[in-house]
Amino acid sequence: MNMPVETELSPDDSPVVKAQPIGPPTRVGPRSNRRNFFIAGAAAAAASASAFAIITDKSPRNPVGDPGTTAPSSIPGLNDTEAWGSSELRLARHITNGLTPEEAFLARTKGFKGYLEYHLNPDAIDNVSVEAFVATTYPQLALQGTDLYALDSGLLQRQLQEATLFRAAFSKRQLYERMVEFWSDHFNIAIAETGYLKMIDDRDVIRKNALGSFPDMLRASAHSAAMLLYLNNNTSRYPKVNENYARELMELHTLGVDGGYTQTDVSEVARCLSGWTIKNKGDFNFDPTGHDFGAKTFLGNTIPAAPGTGAAAVGEGDKVLNVLAAHPSTAKFIAKKMIMWLLQYDPPQTLIDQVAAAYLSTSGNIPAMIRVILTPANIVAAPSKHKRPFHFVASALRGLNPTVKGVAAIAGTRLALLGHQSFFWKTPDGYPDKVQFWSGLVMQRWGFGDYLASLSTGDIVVDPTPFMTVNTSDGVAASINVAMFGGEMPARTSDALKTYLAGGTLNAARVRETLALAINSSTFQWY
Amino acid sequence: MRKCNDEGCTEYNEMSRRQFVTWSAGAAFLATVVPPWLPKIVLAESFVANRDVIISIFMRGGADGLSLCAPFYDIEYYNGRPTIAIPRPDSSAATKGIALDDKFMFPQPMASLVEPFTAKDLLLIHGTGSIDTTRSHFDAQRFMEVGKPRDPSVITGWLGRHLASSTPVRTNAPLRALGIANGLAQTLVGAPQTLPIPNPASFALGGSATTRQARMDWLESDYLNTPDPVKSAAVDAAATVDLLKVINFTGYAPANGAVYPTTSFGSSLRSAAALIKADVGVEAVQVDIGGWDTHSAQDPLAGSMATTMSQFSTALGALYMDLVAGAQTQNVTVVVVSEFGRNVRENGSKGTDHGRGNVMFVMGKNVAGGRVMTQNFASLARENLESGQDLKVTIDHRDVLAEVVKNRLNNAALSFVFPDFVPTIRGVTR
Repeated sequence: MNMPVETELSPDDSPVVKAQPIGPPTRVGPRSNRRNFFIAGAAAAAASASAFAIITDKSPRNPVGDPGTTAPSSIPGLNDTEAWGSSELRLARHITNGLTPEEAFLARTKGFKGYLEYHLNPDAIDNVSVEAFVATTYPQLALQGTDLYALDSGLLQRQLQEATLFRAAFSKRQLYERMVEFWSDHFNIAIAETGYLKMIDDRDVIRKNALGSFPDMLRASAHSAAMLLYLNNNTSRYPKVNENYARELMELHTLGVDGGYTQTDVSEVARCLSGWTIKNKGDFNFDPTGHDFGAKTFLGNTIPAAPGTGAAAVGEGDKVLNVLAAHPSTAKFIAKKMIMWLLQYDPPQTLIDQVAAAYLSTSGNIPAMIRVILTPANIVAAPSKHKRPFHFVASALRGLNPTVKGVAAIAGTRLALLGHQSFFWKTPDGYPDKVQFWSGLVMQRWGFGDYLASLSTGDIVVDPTPFMTVNTSDGVAASINVAMFGGEMPARTSDALKTYLAGGTLNAARVRETLALAINSSTFQWY
Repeated sequence: MRKCNDEGCTEYNEMSRRQFVTWSAGAAFLATVVPPWLPKIVLAESFVANRDVIISIFMRGGADGLSLCAPFYDIEYYNGRPTIAIPRPDSSAATKGIALDDKFMFPQPMASLVEPFTAKDLLLIHGTGSIDTTRSHFDAQRFMEVGKPRDPSVITGWLGRHLASSTPVRTNAPLRALGIANGLAQTLVGAPQTLPIPNPASFALGGSATTRQARMDWLESDYLNTPDPVKSAAVDAAATVDLLKVINFTGYAPANGAVYPTTSFGSSLRSAAALIKADVGVEAVQVDIGGWDTHSAQDPLAGSMATTMSQFSTALGALYMDLVAGAQTQNVTVVVVSEFGRNVRENGSKGTDHGRGNVMFVMGKNVAGGRVMTQNFASLARENLESGQDLKVTIDHRDVLAEVVKNRLNNAALSFVFPDFVPTIRGVTR
């Protein structure tokens, strides 16, 4: 995270793109749907500038204070999103990394519940071409520890970052990829500090359980060499235990900072987990010679002194994980965080309670919680969220639908400029999901839109001609609406794009600039 | 279009140029002396510096104050840290510390800060921190940055509230404060005309120069229809493009032979210095330096902490030479905080776990420096420690910040900047 960014955006002119006849449009989606699209004709009202309380925010449900997202019934981007009439498309915006004509078609034809269930069963979604690309382009993802250890760590880091972005942008299993991103932040591990071990964690902890069972993922994480190394439990040995993992396990992974534990609980949990370490290249190991066999008490649970139990004392750590996984504070903490990710920044307490109840009644089944979170009523009532840079980048890629041979430059340099390279957040809390943290980076976003829309050679080629099938200002704007906005682009945005298109010669260069404006438009920043 | 052509922006440029000339050599040298990185317009206007520019630095991760400024007089310090303590200044070890007084020392990686300390421009305050006992990084950082612990209704940062409650130094300044980072630090939340700008040298729209202004105008107009904070960020960004494009950061030449290290932190301070000297109305700069969460292999003489301390001290030392040392009159005050200190005793990984009391740094021409300020700083024997483990907090960090806000930032609204808190003025400033 926040690595020194040496690359500077060139203010120079980008290569002039000549309008050339190119082949027929390939991937602008099912044409038959176009007749279903409409643009809500509501006139844009004046912007509703939300009051930015200087010190206090009186909203009781908004303890961290997200300016502009506090009123439950008002929608940030009110003017932008008033055209968002379809609850199915609202759902699609929330559970994908950006609308495409294909997703809009699926959502409309399957209906709300059918579309959600479709994405809750990712294994049933045909994703062969994407998986084949990943397997061919990033073969290191499948390797085990010993083989990974022998490879250059920079190569491995790039492979994982590129595969992550490619899947986020192009996988058909979009909700699954959204949850992979969520859990990657929840169980954040900085790849710079863990190298190849993060490759294993990504595959065997995060991706394996992203739409499965939370307690399973928690246990897998606790046994993950990358996590043990990242939070120093691998060197936590009696009599000088290291509290780092024990603290974050409770604060960030399970109970939450206000989940009702004390500094004593941190110390006691650390003692239970002493001796949990790594062997070989990436395997879990319990080393009894580093374990504290004395009596312990944590969260009201007592573990008697057990000298001589040897390797069986690994069960003390197992008990800690079971207690934490079944704890009501964990249910509430995970519920709230999942709602904040999937639905809205400022969840109603009633919904938190419902989702926490689903957690407890299903032993932490993630799809069961999602079904409670993503209902038509909740989706329609939820204020919009602001895309984080990674989400913004993935949605731009989806919207422009370029020909892609690789995503190295975007996964590396470009996301670095946006402050959101995968696995680069250094501290265990993961990248923030707060609008006020990211919203200031507006110029960097605009720079990305310019960059992406201008790509005409190399790994990523954006073809403007499919947007020019009807080569008038109205025609191009309508194509952009279909490709990027599910047919629900606000009238003011559409009108402004048409004005820009009409302000110069209508050629490929002008269309590329207009595509950049559409990506960079305020409407496109929300979901 | 509200661009640099209108009154406001020209005004900044004019003042900058003139002020620089005044500082350096006088109008006779104007044609040859003014460095090329400064804005190009010249026109006389008085500059009223009734307050300092503040550079606020946050050491993320809980910096170990007992290595940054180590109490060599205390045998308990050596007892608690058998493998990571810094040898006494009067020892014969090659890695011995540098005495600051008869009690405290810098380790050698902090040597770049000896000069500002000796010149009495650098003050260290030991045993500081938050009154809240949390040892969570994220709570502790938040409590420090918002300036009031355990109150979820306080959502803005202390520096943000200072800026919100003070008149801009430059009327209509498009950019009053910036964080040199990829996201806005909580410290600055609530500040008007404030942006995170990771690299001020490359802050502009790309693409065709012919259409750039039209596209910029399109975006600025489009974002007027989106809610805050996105809208105001876009408006501020559009204005800031014009502000920054006249400053040649790449060609910036620091004064006094100062050499900024090419680290991320060094580059950030270099950009901050260029912005401050350009005098375009920036009043506050927030910079983070991470890498302080030294749970293992901390070794303040050769390990991870030595590297981080060296990055910190060489960059801050360069900033000192550039902006403060000698006859410099940049009216800058630097404050450095971290969320908490670390355990007095090392752990089994030759590192230290989260602790409490810590050291703060305040630097500037009008800082009562050259000393290590303490309050009831006791021996590190177990009975004197918080929870038997950690240096106690005996000086609320807000005492230090509040005095800077009042005396160096000329803002008397302390009850607004630090709500429900009455600071003790401890003589941080002269």
